[in-house]
Amino acid sequence: VNLAHLLARISAIVVTLLLGSHVADAQQPAKYSLLIKGGHVIDARNGLDAVRDVAIADGKIAAVAADIPASDAARVVDARGLYVTPGLIDIHAHVFWGTEANAQYGNGPSAVPPDSHSFRSGQTTLVDVGGSGWRTFPQFKAQVIDRSRTRVLAFLNIVGDGMKGGPIEQNLGDMDAKLTAQRARQFREHVVGVKVAHYMGAEWDPVTRAVAAGREADIPVMIDFGGNNPPQSLDALLNTHLRPGDILTHMYAHVRGRMPIVNAQGQVEPYVIAARKRGVIFDVGHGGGSFLFRQAVPATKQGFWPDVISTDLHIGSMNAGMKDILNVMSKLLNLGMPLQDVVKANTSRAAEVIKRPELGHLGVGAEADVAVLGVRTGEFGFVDSGGGQMPGTQKLECELTVRAGQVVWDLNGRSRPLWNEGTR
Amino acid sequence: MMRRTLATLVVLLAAHAAAAQTPRYSLLLKGGHVLDPKNGVNGVMDVAIADGKVAAVAANIDAAEAARVANVAGLYVVPGIIDLHAHVFIGSEPDSYLSNGDVGAHADSHSFRSGQTTLVDVGGPGWRNFAQFKTNIVDRARTRVLAFINIVGHGMRGGPYEQDLGDMDAKLTAQRILANKDVLVGIKVAHYQGAEWEPVTRAVEAGRIADVPVMIDFGGNEPPQSLDALLNTHLRPGDILTHMYAHVRGRHPIVNAQGQVEPYVIAARKRGVLFDVGHGGGSFLFRQAVPATQQGFWPDVISTDLHTCSQNAGMKDILNVMSKMLVLGMPLNDVIRANTAKAAEVIKRQDLGHLGVGAEADVAVLALRKGEFGFIDSSGNRMPGDQKLECELTVKGGQVVWDLNGRSHTLWSEQPVEDMNAPPPARRRTR
Repeated sequence: VNLAHLLARISAIVVTLLLGSHVADAQQPAKYSLLIKGGHVIDARNGLDAVRDVAIADGKIAAVAADIPASDAARVVDARGLYVTPGLIDIHAHVFWGTEANAQYGNGPSAVPPDSHSFRSGQTTLVDVGGSGWRTFPQFKAQVIDRSRTRVLAFLNIVGDGMKGGPIEQNLGDMDAKLTAQRARQFREHVVGVKVAHYMGAEWDPVTRAVAAGREADIPVMIDFGGNNPPQSLDALLNTHLRPGDILTHMYAHVRGRMPIVNAQGQVEPYVIAARKRGVIFDVGHGGGSFLFRQAVPATKQGFWPDVISTDLHIGSMNAGMKDILNVMSKLLNLGMPLQDVVKANTSRAAEVIKRPELGHLGVGAEADVAVLGVRTGEFGFVDSGGGQMPGTQKLECELTVRAGQVVWDLNGRSRPLWNEGTR
Repeated sequence: MMRRTLATLVVLLAAHAAAAQTPRYSLLLKGGHVLDPKNGVNGVMDVAIADGKVAAVAANIDAAEAARVANVAGLYVVPGIIDLHAHVFIGSEPDSYLSNGDVGAHADSHSFRSGQTTLVDVGGPGWRNFAQFKTNIVDRARTRVLAFINIVGHGMRGGPYEQDLGDMDAKLTAQRILANKDVLVGIKVAHYQGAEWEPVTRAVEAGRIADVPVMIDFGGNEPPQSLDALLNTHLRPGDILTHMYAHVRGRHPIVNAQGQVEPYVIAARKRGVLFDVGHGGGSFLFRQAVPATQQGFWPDVISTDLHTCSQNAGMKDILNVMSKMLVLGMPLNDVIRANTAKAAEVIKRQDLGHLGVGAEADVAVLALRKGEFGFIDSSGNRMPGDQKLECELTVKGGQVVWDLNGRSHTLWSEQPVEDMNAPPPARRRTR
């Protein structure tokens, strides 16, 4: 066999293989609908932090392995140099948008439509926290949950009418633990917690009723605390009222009516550390007024990192210092939190907090919710809710988002054929 | 001793601050490359803002004269971008599509982060439900929302509503416009299926009465109606064909099967008909755009056709669509002109889209990223490119409404500490 002959045979084989894959396309469906190839997979739940291929079939993760042949897939994404993570979960968003006047975050104009914000920043699950209460949840479901491509879950407000602002949220007579728990159990698929927010007064009833509802429905409560002067004891909230697994949001806030977690001496309060030890969860909940570098910098320097890095997405935060979940995650990255931990917080950890362990990971059989992220390096800046800026050198960018196996965001067309080579 | 010196210093500084006058400018954008096609500015200039207006554009404005300074060296400073084709009449009414339905997008969620200060909803409301659009959208958005009113009285509600010739009334449509000239800048025809010319002729009639342009989303008949007749017989100079680079069933494409821009299309441009991108979910093909632009047929205006089906697909946002044109070879200054001065001219709002002294201070600061990028058309095909626009800062009416990297902000560690135990200062609640 001479060299020319060998080359001819090799090219014939290559051509056959190439044609073969086309023929296979035409005749029998490829084994995988999508293959994300060569990316660095971070899947904390499954202990994976390495370059792997991720194959998807029938909307599920079909295989995660070192080298899956491209010919097995109908569509291949080159993810070299990028991170492949489970679809991000935002545990604190406000997406019960609507047109009702003065209804704020509960069918009003202060909330935003989920699909405008989710996929472009790698999120496949948004959790609305407190927009709806037991009375308004069916409307929220019909209007937002059922019509969004994003998976939308909810913490029910302990207020039956939800987060409509003003006196509605101050009405102790509309905070019913039993009805809230019943609604939560009725819609277990969507309701994952109970929210307390914006209450102004020294009474503990909103918190105790939410916890009672949470106990009945076996779901966590999330507290946006404060609104009384002098502030109620944060120690009492964290170490007496809340259960392990309950959540304090706005952890790096310093606002009137709530004690900050970093005290005037620059130290994380010992009772805050004690609360974490007993299992209370601390969530960023950035928002328009709840993330200060003056809190976050000393807290993180003392090792007090967030459990979950959420946005508190709404019209007042989306165009301010918050922007989107990747911007908030990038802040933590630049504060020194390792990328693996940042990703873990908003994937497996967030899933664990809302007791939805089937989410937030890339195990075989899991619903194929995937984010492909780039880490840009350069000179960036990040703004906190006091308007203070912090320079940074790294920033996350979403290249591709997959929801239940469908490509729902593709920044640079990595999953797409060239226009002058395509068949259409 | 040290403490006393510090105390003295603080007192002196305080006195100095009190003695100093209010700065002349509220905001100074320093060191950027200004592209203001209307005023023929194309060079490194500072832009100063006071009282919500552009106060000065000059080579070197003293930073000490401004309360807030943003270093924008290495970036482009352009008039706030106008999107001539968006759908922002979002609502929760069932079966209402782009007219108080949930296919519309949320204006402020998309505008400022891509440098836009004005979005034009084209055809969401009709004369019947304009008031609802004004209350729910125009009055609540921070973005300036203008509109082309639909020739259909019920607006863009989808299905049979948009096919009802009995609900297309030129007189009532014109009356609604004349009473709301501050918001209504044109008339839209879209989605009509049938061989009748009435939707177009009535829209043009309304446009003539109200002195506004019409925008046509053409096609929907088999065989297609004559695009030549539309462009060269029915439309007036100043009227707009949108979806210029589309090739869909029911409409002739502008580039024919021989790969040539139809001569009647070129003739229409010569007589003043305008061509708008209107990218959308199904209306931008590289197979049309590449030959058309290679033959010099560039868009007058580069709009998005923003709605829930285009926002996460190949369209994404207006900067992505503008970047496509850049990558196709359109010079940056022309790309900017299309969505500032030209867009303003098209909607007869010459007060917008420029940075002349006295103009409302709507400004976008854009970065031109270099790298390996890709762009997707509406058939799902990709074109590689090496440039991409990114919005660094957006100013609307003098207010910073987007600041990607905090260029207009001071370092967090240098900010005064607010005493949260003191009574709250009187100030406007942020939304």
